[in-house]
Amino acid sequence: MDPKASSSLGSIQKAVWDGKLPLHITLAPSESRTFDQTDPYLISHPRIAYLPSLLPRLRDFFAPSLIHPTSRPHEGWFSFEGVPLKWHYPIGLLYDLYAGADPASKAGGTEPDLLSAAGAADEDPLPWRLTVHFSDWPDEELVRLDADGMVMHDAFINSVKEADFLRNGTAKGIMALSKEDSAGLWTAVRDVDLPAFQRISNILLPPPNQPFRNVPVRFFLPLPPDSDSPSLKVVQSPIPPVIAPSSASVSSSMSVAASQSLMMAAARGAPQVQTVGSALHALLPNLFPSRRTPVLAKPVLHGAAVPMAAPVEELVRCSAYGDGWVYVVVRMMG
Amino acid sequence: MELSTSSHPALAVFPLLTDKEFDSACHQFLHRVHVANESLMGRLTVQYAQRAHGPILSITRRISHVSIPAYDSQSSVDDSIRERYTYTEAYEDDPEALIRTAEPSVGLHVVYDVLLSPTYQVPVLYFNLRPTDHPGPLGIDAVYRYLVPSQYRKELQSVGVMGGISLGYHPESGTPAFFVHPCNTADAMRQIAGHRRVTPETYLIIWLGLVGNRLGLQLPRDFFATDEMRGN
Repeated sequence: MDPKASSSLGSIQKAVWDGKLPLHITLAPSESRTFDQTDPYLISHPRIAYLPSLLPRLRDFFAPSLIHPTSRPHEGWFSFEGVPLKWHYPIGLLYDLYAGADPASKAGGTEPDLLSAAGAADEDPLPWRLTVHFSDWPDEELVRLDADGMVMHDAFINSVKEADFLRNGTAKGIMALSKEDSAGLWTAVRDVDLPAFQRISNILLPPPNQPFRNVPVRFFLPLPPDSDSPSLKVVQSPIPPVIAPSSASVSSSMSVAASQSLMMAAARGAPQVQTVGSALHALLPNLFPSRRTPVLAKPVLHGAAVPMAAPVEELVRCSAYGDGWVYVVVRMMG
Repeated sequence: MELSTSSHPALAVFPLLTDKEFDSACHQFLHRVHVANESLMGRLTVQYAQRAHGPILSITRRISHVSIPAYDSQSSVDDSIRERYTYTEAYEDDPEALIRTAEPSVGLHVVYDVLLSPTYQVPVLYFNLRPTDHPGPLGIDAVYRYLVPSQYRKELQSVGVMGGISLGYHPESGTPAFFVHPCNTADAMRQIAGHRRVTPETYLIIWLGLVGNRLGLQLPRDFFATDEMRGN
């Protein structure tokens, strides 16, 4: 990778870490002394942060209104339109998944977006309107937090380990980090401190001239409109960063496992860079009949439509979330 | 334990397990359960099904007569069990209480789901511990108290940020579940099985011994001593 490319990856990473969402957070009316008359808490918050990072200040802000003033910050949880939000996903991912906002994209391809945006004009997705609760934890849907933040830290490290394992084929990277750096990685992400994150992440990531074994990417599929299921459909399969050009034409009727093994086998031939489009086409051929053009659905990351031609490894190197994963939301078009 | 090593091909990428090998291992395991005398299986029931995220080998274990004072005091779910129990005790003079106490006092059941991790390509164990007839899952303290044999408690609690048992979401249902993080499974399997040629089923059974034993999933000893298991 030449220095120019790597500096542009650096600027994309900075933009990702600088990305913020305006949030409009109200206290659940059933927990408020003034029911739905409580003032909302407004904040512009980093997309890559996690919702529980807001709990201490929300607990303070809403303290005078709480019917149960003994509740503690870690008993807080969030919902959007009645759906409890899983706190182990970054805020930006939750927004891309649930808010129904159309992603930002380059001029030219935006006409259908403008039309659908006009139709939904009365429901402006921003600021994103969330409800915070400090009681009635939904045990069937959300893992409980603890006062010391151990549960969050553990979930984060588990996710980091998985990404590391996919990149290297071993879990030795994260194991090799010093205890300070391992804890520091979580602190850096929790506090959205990019320089501190980069220092540790540079120890963890293979250098740019050493390709990943597989690329840590998960695709989140849209739920059918009539679905009551709280479960998200997530597709994950080892995705190598290179493929051979001949492999893609036959994959439309294959199972995920078969197309994946084909991707692996193809990597032994003349290598071609695995793009977002080629990975989506191999894993979800019905939704992505073309590798180059989004036809039925489009990939969304950090609120933006991802170019189908983006190489997946570069995508991960510059725009992964703090745990090393790229979480792409698949949005239906039209 | 006698395990067949000859009738099935050895694993392609030991200590990892492919989708096909996992499927084959689960089918053979299920077959073994079906031919085993029912009394051998005792309080275990086993199912294997294809789900949206892949196949799941699901083992349910029922635990009866748990002593109430041992319950955690932290979880609201535990509190409500204790309330119910207290209720039963308080009305001991009530003739209707006879009907109540005739039932097993408090039963628990554990659902162990074995899946193939798409990242690590080794089996991963998700599980939930619930009181029978009660909707809520129990917390980590109850897991250590009722499932983890005492000799493994220290070992399990000493690793990772919060011990070897993590809290996460079941890949299929999306609901909270405990799981044993599989990042060390491949190394452990290599150490145990060495360079022996193992079949998919042997792999699964060794893995169940490695991970399941620590979480109260003990397969009956005799289960492995049937004719089937001797590789006939």
